Amino acid sequence: MRHALIAIALGILAFGTGCQRKPSDVVDPAKLKVFEPLPQVVAASYGAPSEELIALGRMLYYDPRLSRSQQISCNTCHDLNKYGVDNEPTSEGHKGQKGDRNSPTVYNAAAQFAQFWDGRAPDVEEQAKGPVMNPVEMAMPSDKLVIAVLKSIPEYVDAFRRAFPKDKDPVNLDNMARAIGAFERRLLTPARWDKFLKGDAQALTSAEKAGLNVFLEAGCQTCHLGALLGGTMFQKLGLMKPYPDQSDPGRYRVTKNEADRMVFKVPMLRNVEKTAPYFHNGKVATLEQAVQEMADYQLGKTLSRKETEAIITFLKSLTGEIPFDYIKPPELPKSTARTPKPDLSD
Amino acid sequence: MSWKVKLAILVSLLAAGLQLYQPERSHPPSNPGGSFEAVARPAPELANVLRRACYDCHSNETRWPWYSRVSPVSWLIARDVRRGRAHLNFSEWNRLSPQAAQHKLREACEEVRAGEMPLALYRWVHSEARLSAADADRICAASKAP
Repeated sequence: MRHALIAIALGILAFGTGCQRKPSDVVDPAKLKVFEPLPQVVAASYGAPSEELIALGRMLYYDPRLSRSQQISCNTCHDLNKYGVDNEPTSEGHKGQKGDRNSPTVYNAAAQFAQFWDGRAPDVEEQAKGPVMNPVEMAMPSDKLVIAVLKSIPEYVDAFRRAFPKDKDPVNLDNMARAIGAFERRLLTPARWDKFLKGDAQALTSAEKAGLNVFLEAGCQTCHLGALLGGTMFQKLGLMKPYPDQSDPGRYRVTKNEADRMVFKVPMLRNVEKTAPYFHNGKVATLEQAVQEMADYQLGKTLSRKETEAIITFLKSLTGEIPFDYIKPPELPKSTARTPKPDLSD
Repeated sequence: MSWKVKLAILVSLLAAGLQLYQPERSHPPSNPGGSFEAVARPAPELANVLRRACYDCHSNETRWPWYSRVSPVSWLIARDVRRGRAHLNFSEWNRLSPQAAQHKLREACEEVRAGEMPLALYRWVHSEARLSAADADRICAASKAP
């Protein structure tokens, strides 16, 4: 009798573990309140950008003459045809130097509450100045050289005048950054997910909705919320247990506050399928590993293979459409005899 | 020696052994200027509600009770605090954008109104954490503030 009971119990156990409950594809609308559809425009504090400003920003975004070597543009590391990234762990900058953090995507980035992994810039305009002057990125030694390059090209001077008609001397670093930022504010990639949030229940497949339920059940939306599923807060990497790679202290570099050690901006999940490798150090090659590590270190949960796959199925529904017309590279104005030459001296 | 005595000794030894394994109960470093009270400047009544009902699990100012030093209860409490802080931490309010802060407060409002928070066991042990409808209204009003 006792053996029979044990056999039955083992049978039930085996059945229970072997046939894991299939996640439901019925999504509770109340649980979607933490998300929002992508906005149509990301408003700037200075008002709606003019078409002239955006056109100037597009030229500057693609222009490698904003780098010391005149070989690196914004698009080199944030390739707009590749979902705004270069798919490298860290990017190669001036004379092959490597940055120390993964280049994040520029798509939808303007809608984040802060820029850079450590949030040291409040908006895309401020962010745009960073890489131009960073010695391991575009490595311009001073804003004077940037201005000298731009002023040496008459078409740029005209374009700045059109974009900033009220400015007496419009060619300056702030205006350069404002123009690039204006261009970036429309780099948006609406996805099927947005249609789903707006009420089209068929916009996601049954498997994607089931994956969304696993995502919600795991608690990923604790940090990955809002219109971007991220980009709304800082969070400690290693909330539930210490993250092994402590070499980059994150926001601590900015604030020098011990509470900010290993604290990073929570990255967006839009287009995450296309923006490997992952994490601030770019050391996580696959989405599978990224999802499992996040669950482990941030939520204290071990996801099964099926749960991981379900979440990834949902995440792929966040992949949006690249606005190919908007990002079409413009013809860049030609340099003149006055244009400073590329500098690869040190 | 009867089997009952042997069992009692065994259980006592086991219980004593468990005490050797204590969870981390330290308070993470905090920036005083980054707390909910410093950033959001809530009305004293709301601050009081949150402190007496939420802060033990949702801040870095946990008041560890004596039984949080007795294993295995200590493990459960430490786990709840760790999870609570991960989900919502009033000591780290400056990490949230205004939008995320609103989300967190709205979630708190809904969970308190639904009776899901504070946890039933916590409410049973901590009478001060039993929130009235007026207390819940204060949290909900904050979640709607601009």
